[in-house]
Amino acid sequence: MNAESLKRKGYYAVLWLTSLLFFAPVAWIVMSSFKTRNDILAVPPKLIFSPTFDNYLDLLDRNTSFVLQFANSVVLSLSAVVIAVVVSFLAAFCFSRFKPKGTNFLMFILLSIRMLPAPAVILPVYLMYANFGWKDSHIALILFYAMFSIPFSVWILKGFLDGVSVRFDETGLVNGGSWLHVIFRVVLPQLKPGLIAAFIFNMIFVWNEFLFNFIVGGVSTQNIPYALAVGTYSDGGLNWTFIATLTTIYIIPPIVFIYLFQKYLLAGMTFGTVRGEV
Amino acid sequence: MSVSFQSLTKRFGADLAIDSLDLDIEPESFTVFCGPPKCGKSVLFRLLVGLETPDSGSIILNGTDITRIGPANRQVGYVPQSFALYPHLTVYQNIAYPLTLARRPKDEIARRVDRAAGILSITHLLEKTPDLLSGGEKQRTAVARGLLHDASVFVLDDPLVGLDYKLRERLMDELKSLQTELKATFLYATSDSMEALTMAERLIVLDKGRKVQDGSVETVYREPDHLRAMELIGFPRANLIGGRHSSGLLEAGPFRIPLHRDTPGEVVIGIRPEAIKLGGNQGIAASAEVRLVEDLGSEYVVYLDSNGQALTAAYPVGDSPAPAFQSSQGFAVEPRDIVIFDAGSGARIGRGAA
Repeated sequence: MNAESLKRKGYYAVLWLTSLLFFAPVAWIVMSSFKTRNDILAVPPKLIFSPTFDNYLDLLDRNTSFVLQFANSVVLSLSAVVIAVVVSFLAAFCFSRFKPKGTNFLMFILLSIRMLPAPAVILPVYLMYANFGWKDSHIALILFYAMFSIPFSVWILKGFLDGVSVRFDETGLVNGGSWLHVIFRVVLPQLKPGLIAAFIFNMIFVWNEFLFNFIVGGVSTQNIPYALAVGTYSDGGLNWTFIATLTTIYIIPPIVFIYLFQKYLLAGMTFGTVRGEV
Repeated sequence: MSVSFQSLTKRFGADLAIDSLDLDIEPESFTVFCGPPKCGKSVLFRLLVGLETPDSGSIILNGTDITRIGPANRQVGYVPQSFALYPHLTVYQNIAYPLTLARRPKDEIARRVDRAAGILSITHLLEKTPDLLSGGEKQRTAVARGLLHDASVFVLDDPLVGLDYKLRERLMDELKSLQTELKATFLYATSDSMEALTMAERLIVLDKGRKVQDGSVETVYREPDHLRAMELIGFPRANLIGGRHSSGLLEAGPFRIPLHRDTPGEVVIGIRPEAIKLGGNQGIAASAEVRLVEDLGSEYVVYLDSNGQALTAAYPVGDSPAPAFQSSQGFAVEPRDIVIFDAGSGARIGRGAA
């Protein structure tokens, strides 16, 4: 065995170890969701156990708001992100193509809203929503999430749009296309990786959002993070079976999304600069 | 359709890209614009197509002022310098694009795409997507798309640049016959001497956004009005030698030419390679060492070094045998074959002799 292949094996060993280390809590949660309460808390932890589906049946059976919470999570994130991506695409198109004076400054201002920690804005937002009578309203919450998702999407999409040559637009215009034609039929189809990247990033943000849902939302808009926070101590002590089961269900959609679109995610993290790889 | 530019001016910041250009182009003509890079030919075409707005002046298309009309409503076919093929469409869909936008019936589109693809020999590529094509194939697809526009004015911005020699020669013929067949007005930009000489009915030489010569191929070749015209048109390239004149004598490289002109100053003299007669003795004689001989089949191109001044001579094979490598050769140039240009403005001053 030569030194080169030994080095390679070493790399893989380290990579595997790191991955396992990071995956361990996820594995623990997923495994726990199939264990009884006693098995979860057993010392030493049980790796071999007889799996049970009681926790899942319990969740659907006893916890009457689970379906509402899951549906809320899906509806809130999907609609907010779709609105955000559509608005951001048009905004990014203008920034990229018409380059208004101070584009860089405007882009910075746009992103600065995300530089504030959420607790710093929660109070004014709460007062505003309370006064407008927007508390516990799906539409109001969707608009808030969309507003919060737009800056980052504009940044991602502008990076991708700058990579789509203006020559494409020109060819469309010269051959008799309108601006709408250029935007939606010429540029949009070439932006698929950017749209998917923006979509996933914001999806993750809204999917995981707890604070605003808890304070600005209400009973009818509660999502899964809300349910986890509220349900954890619901039966006196720490309700491990509930936490494990709900968390397992909760992480499936993002994992599926990310697995399917992971190459776009990388492109999105670099604002489209590795477009060639996609 | 006729095209006319009236005192057209376009600036990019401080750069003058088009400098009050006046030009009338006859309907159904084939006009070639020739000039060094950045001479303004692409900008002129972009102005005509509507992708740039002039700072002043106007563009008249068949009697209608189109200066303020958007590109979509100008009805000018455009083959851009960059291919800009849509990656999400197949070659067929790319070529059909102008017709699809114009909502033409499907069978008409199919017929016209097939024909254009046939002429450009890309029929076998129609189902592929552009990322699978070579550079030349992309270029031909872009040409086909540009020509399928329902226009009677076509603007071709250096469409054959970089294609291989054989294909280029064939496409030059095809473009010419297509123009006759469509009865369309073609404006064609190139920096290639061969394309200009082969295709132009009218040749316009541009330099720094100005028209420096305008005429038939013969006129531009035989009577260049401007340094750029002499430099760009003709192969092998003309010899251009910097020099200066004062007190009735012009000195440039190995040449001493009597010149009667009042203002002394810097000049550039131009001599066509075929005007340098090896072994000749008529006119101004000098000698040089042979550095390289290229046999082009029908002619020899001889690269000479005359006291540090590089010169190119060309003469038909058969007139005399090829000179030996590194041999010393006497040569002569008739004074009337020497064209003298002002070094500053590039304008022609005169010839070595009337």
